[in-house]
Amino acid sequence: MKTKKLPTKRQLLMTSALVVALFPQQLLAEVKLNGFASIRGTSVSSDGGLEPFPGFEEGELSFKPESLFAIQAQADLGAGLSATVQLFGEGRTDFEVEARWAYLSYQLNDSHRLSAGRFANPIFHQSEYEKVGYAHNFSRLPKAVYIDFEFSTIEGIALDSQFNLGDYSLSTKVLYGGWSGEAFSAVTNNFVDFGMDNIFSANATLAGDWWQLFGGIFAAEIDGASIDSSTVFPLATPGMNLAQNMGATAAQVNDFKSRIGWDGKDAFYWFSGFAVDYNNWLVDFEFVDYVVEDSTDAPNQSWYLALGHRFDKVVLTLHTEDYAQDADHDFLNGVAHPVLLATGKGINNAFAQREFDGVGLSVRYDFHPSAAIKVDYFNGSDTRPAVGDYEIVSFGVDLVF
Amino acid sequence: MKKMLCVAGLLLSQLAFAEVAVIVHPSNNNALDEATVSKIFLGREKSFADGKSVVPLSLNEGASASTAFNDAVLKKSSSQLKAYWSKLVFTGKGTPPKEIASDEEMIKLVATNPSVIGYVDASKVDASVKVALKF
Repeated sequence: MKTKKLPTKRQLLMTSALVVALFPQQLLAEVKLNGFASIRGTSVSSDGGLEPFPGFEEGELSFKPESLFAIQAQADLGAGLSATVQLFGEGRTDFEVEARWAYLSYQLNDSHRLSAGRFANPIFHQSEYEKVGYAHNFSRLPKAVYIDFEFSTIEGIALDSQFNLGDYSLSTKVLYGGWSGEAFSAVTNNFVDFGMDNIFSANATLAGDWWQLFGGIFAAEIDGASIDSSTVFPLATPGMNLAQNMGATAAQVNDFKSRIGWDGKDAFYWFSGFAVDYNNWLVDFEFVDYVVEDSTDAPNQSWYLALGHRFDKVVLTLHTEDYAQDADHDFLNGVAHPVLLATGKGINNAFAQREFDGVGLSVRYDFHPSAAIKVDYFNGSDTRPAVGDYEIVSFGVDLVF
Repeated sequence: MKKMLCVAGLLLSQLAFAEVAVIVHPSNNNALDEATVSKIFLGREKSFADGKSVVPLSLNEGASASTAFNDAVLKKSSSQLKAYWSKLVFTGKGTPPKEIASDEEMIKLVATNPSVIGYVDASKVDASVKVALKF
């Protein structure tokens, strides 16, 4: 039988000294572990055979679309430097774990912190924590505004700042980055490759004791060769062929293609709103506006308004939301050929076809210091004929640790 | 019987109105009001008025002084406070004060570190710390 020689005290000391010399920071680093989870059963109905949102399963109670789990580790390396990683998995992707956040932060001074790496894209006011159910009183943030944009996580650099202005506080964020992945197209009901380059965003929140005012912008250059080739141009091909048969020149068709395509165009998003928490009455309002400019994309103006009341450990919230798109044919100004003009308008109308609105009632009960039970009912109406009127009922638990 | 009821009533009123003291290191001469203490414990103020950095410490959420402090100074229940910090922790914008297990440990930490600010049941305060605020 082989025996293993135990290390001597001297060898252990030498090894320890070597480890300390090689990894001094790792040994000193304080690592904080936090996490959040939502376990939610959701049932959706639709009159027409298509679920109202990607991932929802029509006609049955499912725990997949809205259950998720995340664990976050933050290592404080000292002298203002920290490293954060957040591992995240959700039911809709079979709890496949991804590093949702992975970034380094450096606290420049009391007011400013610089971060670089992969982190949340603050598209709208609550986008950065929209997956943290415990942080808000809804079962899901209103879809009209928080419609699960795929570019919710980006790679880049960000500056967070915090200022005290007398009795008020002002927090701001400025960010530069990029994103590539897949995006859902309601026109084809499929996901297509999509990207955003040179993302620039800035937002600010001014807060008093019981109120908040907020607003922000988000601009990017679209990397949309794939959505052009898979969605926009195929939709236009019959029209372009017909136009050429009816005398349109190659130059006119090429000019038309450059107008309807998304690739290389600028996307522009902005949001504004307010929140009130006064004497246990809660009011939230957010309006958002976004479009891929000078393209077939339809400008989107959406909003939600919520009124709630806190009864000790129970919060009742009634809200209404509206997701609206308007066809805007200005990008076709200068297109002379009537068939090309009609084709462009048709595609723009197709991108503007989807609208929805509805009302919802949510109940939150803080039954545990770190967990809340939530039940909600939502009644909506979608302009896509295959969806139509629909209802969402859900119940579940949101927790943080 | 009446006497017993009176004593019980007095005890209950003592519990309900137990004072909480915000404490700092004896060398700390910064004037602190309720609004500033609130900002410090909500992560909105990182320094004392003299420019020196501040490290807030909380008592465990089960402690009666903790509930009283959250209600009176931060104007939030423990669930509201947890939701507030969730927004900051999971966006990298801040971390909540560390939680300390007992008044005695809190007093020890404040007495040995000029950067620390904490709070305890006022009846537990001793000469090793300075009371900045009572409520």
